[in-house]
Amino acid sequence: MFEFFFKYPFAAFSKGQVLLAARWPVWVLLALILVAAGALAWPMFRRGHAVAPRVKPIAIWLLQTTMVAMLLVLLWQPALSVATLRPQQNIVAVVVDDSKSMSIVEDSVSRMQRLKEALSPSVVADLQKKFQVRFYRLGARAERVETTANLKGDSGSTRLGDGLREVSAEAASLPIGAVVLLSDGADNAGGIDLETTNQIRRFRIPVHTVGFGKEKPDHDIEVTNLELPQRVLATSRLNAQVSVKQWGFANKRAKLTLRDGDKILSQREITLKADGIEQTESVSFNSGNAGVRSVQASIEPIGTEENDKNNAQTRLLTVEPGKPRILYIEGEPKWEYKFIRRAIELDQGLQLVSMVRTTQNKFYRQGIEKPEELEQGFPATVEELFNFQGIVIGGVEAAYFTPNQQELLKQFVDRRGGGVLWLGGRGGLSDGGWAASPLAELLPTVLPNRKNTFQRDPAYVELAAAGRDSLICRLDEDPARNGDRWKKLPYLANYEDPGTPKPGAVVLAEMNVGRNKMPLLTTQNYGRGRTALFATSGSWRWQMQQPLEDMSHEMFWQQMLRWLVSGTTGPVVSSVNKSVYNDEQSVPLRAEIRDRNYNPAADAAVEARIVKPDGSSETVTLRPDPGTPGVYTANWGAAATGAYVVETVARRGDQELGRDAVTFRREDGVAENFGTHQNKELLEKLAQQTGGRYWQPSEVKKLAGEINYSEAGISIRETRDLWDAPIFFLMALLLRGGEWLLRRKWGVV
Amino acid sequence: MRAKRAVIVSFLVLSLVSAILAQRRFGGQRPWWYDEDDYVATPADANEKTEYAFARLKYPSWGRPFNELWARRGNWTIDYPKADRTFVAGVRRLTRVHTRSVEQVVDLDSDEIYNWPWLYVVEPGHWELTDKQAAKLRDYLLRGGFLMTDDFHGTQEWEIFMISMRKVFPERAVVDLDNRDAIFHVLYNLDDRFQVPGVATFGSGVTYEYDGVEAKWRGVYDDKGRIMVAVCHNMDLGDAWEWADNPNYPEKYATLAYRIGVNYILYAMSH
Repeated sequence: MFEFFFKYPFAAFSKGQVLLAARWPVWVLLALILVAAGALAWPMFRRGHAVAPRVKPIAIWLLQTTMVAMLLVLLWQPALSVATLRPQQNIVAVVVDDSKSMSIVEDSVSRMQRLKEALSPSVVADLQKKFQVRFYRLGARAERVETTANLKGDSGSTRLGDGLREVSAEAASLPIGAVVLLSDGADNAGGIDLETTNQIRRFRIPVHTVGFGKEKPDHDIEVTNLELPQRVLATSRLNAQVSVKQWGFANKRAKLTLRDGDKILSQREITLKADGIEQTESVSFNSGNAGVRSVQASIEPIGTEENDKNNAQTRLLTVEPGKPRILYIEGEPKWEYKFIRRAIELDQGLQLVSMVRTTQNKFYRQGIEKPEELEQGFPATVEELFNFQGIVIGGVEAAYFTPNQQELLKQFVDRRGGGVLWLGGRGGLSDGGWAASPLAELLPTVLPNRKNTFQRDPAYVELAAAGRDSLICRLDEDPARNGDRWKKLPYLANYEDPGTPKPGAVVLAEMNVGRNKMPLLTTQNYGRGRTALFATSGSWRWQMQQPLEDMSHEMFWQQMLRWLVSGTTGPVVSSVNKSVYNDEQSVPLRAEIRDRNYNPAADAAVEARIVKPDGSSETVTLRPDPGTPGVYTANWGAAATGAYVVETVARRGDQELGRDAVTFRREDGVAENFGTHQNKELLEKLAQQTGGRYWQPSEVKKLAGEINYSEAGISIRETRDLWDAPIFFLMALLLRGGEWLLRRKWGVV
Repeated sequence: MRAKRAVIVSFLVLSLVSAILAQRRFGGQRPWWYDEDDYVATPADANEKTEYAFARLKYPSWGRPFNELWARRGNWTIDYPKADRTFVAGVRRLTRVHTRSVEQVVDLDSDEIYNWPWLYVVEPGHWELTDKQAAKLRDYLLRGGFLMTDDFHGTQEWEIFMISMRKVFPERAVVDLDNRDAIFHVLYNLDDRFQVPGVATFGSGVTYEYDGVEAKWRGVYDDKGRIMVAVCHNMDLGDAWEWADNPNYPEKYATLAYRIGVNYILYAMSH
């Protein structure tokens, strides 16, 4: 229809530029239009038509003026300047998605079958009349094929970005005029990156996309993601973030299960949200003993789902064998000290070393490994202090620590990556002079600059908004019940005003003292480590005032101290950038090496021993990253699917600096089961960004006509007349006919 | 007239006898330890809120209330409050424990017991806990409370003590504490301990009462090897605390009693 009225297709106008071809200046045209308008108005109003209602002469005048203006514009020769591909001199790359998702059957017909129907011989013939046509099969990469007839939709993965980059790269040597991508838009690499888009735009290649598959399934539940930390302490509670999407089961209840093999780690019911809305559920579980866990999150199918292979995701989890050591120094005997010790004694994954100042000149030490440990008091050397992963400072005055020890504490957090927790209490925080100490910057709050901030009066606790998602504060799996449990906790025996949280600090729990509310538990990251402030030494009442079977006190303190050391690493930290490599073999290995003082070690020899799924191993040497001292990298290809363990060892001469292990998983073809509905958004965006257009399969027959307008490849710019476009004749007819009808009706002839 | 005279004579005789008896019990010849009944002034900082207070357990006496004088007042009151206040003065001086200057009496029938994780029981050889009280004491101890018993002697009082203890912990034995146990080393090293006598036998030349010749340091452990109940049998630490300020009471006994008490508090606050 558009082409009928305007002589050329819409694509020609969208790609081209409308201009006036006559040599006469445009201002003359405008002036003439104004003169004509004035000339037409003068006799009409002069003859006394002014007595008639104003609207009628104005309407007549408008129609006449428009008519004259249109005729004048036509005299200036309107034309369309548009670039078109030279016939038979350009290549059109027809890229056909051959991944497994294209074999999905919808309404008894597979997507590939629909594709072949859309890309019928007649459509191909039309294209071939104007262009040289090259066919590509797109899977993990783009491969040239002679025909699409033999494609079955059996490639294990789709990497749209990589494939398009390869095809567009050919434009450097071939006159590629346009790319036609026929796909469902399902991509295993997370979409098309900016680099690929920029490369296509650089060659000015329009990508026309043709979408196949339902834009949304009728009945399906998909576990879209499973987020887990790569490593965790033994017997830790940790959160798995499970993302779920559904269609057709809104507000239904579904069972979410976490498994390690056949063993159920955690299970709970969730209520599914609206169609297509991604919801993230937090499921906590115990990591168990040291080793590598294969954790699977799954949703049991409800009714009949179109695709039941996307109901589960699996990740590897490294449970570390170490037992982090935490040093707790307390300025005076107190019940909090006793009950924290008792809570941590129940935790097999932590080792609490403590020293309590019983008299002015004596500390009582507990949990030490040898008699001389801490004999001289709080550690005063790097070797001694950095041997711990976390520090708890009870009611100890800041002045107790020497300037050297204060600097060590700062470096412990900043450089070592350790965690420090301050407790409220007599002699702690502001009352202990910490507000004015050099270590005040480590604290997550700005302490009040006054004394007597510690009070032995009741303080009632409640969970802050951020605490609802915190593992430290998780006393119950159910968020609502967890909040209730916090409200029902016995009041604290005392409290200390912690001041105001610093920017970036997070308040996890609060306490109500009379009408005042103040932070109870505040955390923040500092340097490579983390610090926290618990503004009381009266949580022991949670243990003494609650039934024996209630584990709130123990759970809180175990989780608190595990958080404190959770990110405290050893001198060697190895990592990979993903926990699962779907349909990609290249694995970037990275190791951060530090010496005994936790300074970056730039002169280490670093090797990674990779244990493959079949049990064989291979050793890879990591090279220093020139931009980051202490960082070593290597790229390694993981060909086989399955679980891999990478153990990195760093040496300086004969001395071993440390070792660390990390795991990852390689999968092929699994990702094709996820995100299987048509990703129209991706296809539309790709077309829009490259100057192409998104097409429905039924419109494909028009492709040959439209893709002709392109500046890529070998093109010529043409100026095409528009004066003879039917729209002008139609307008002239309407304008004159309209005027005649109005004059007849109003009697103003 | 004769009857009136008889009444007057009887009254005078009774008055005289009463006065003589009164002189014998409380008069100028009374032993020095009867000072316990003297008025003990309340310190000015008695209401200070502190981390620790000497919590004295109030319990029902055995065969109450007619068996003997103390049962009528309550055996739990022995040495109270002078022993408590004299002892905590030492705790304040010798340690960094933030200690209240006066004691806290805790009734086993109330839930107040859970606010005081350290309890002192005097003369448990005369206590008689009800089933409900025993259950509460058991719950208290398992939650993390600590109980120190003192001032009971000999086989008979032990048996009475154990009748109630068996109600508290039917499945746990009261065992002799090893010298290496942390309770004897948390602050003072107390390897060389000896019997601390009460004032009841003072001046007789012996340091024991009844057949309790040998001081026994016993305890009940929890499943983690921590002492929940520290049993001081055949000794009277309370008297030693109470009379520590009296020149008649030997310093060596008072010193040991203080050290034991301090260690027991520090142990309870750290284990």
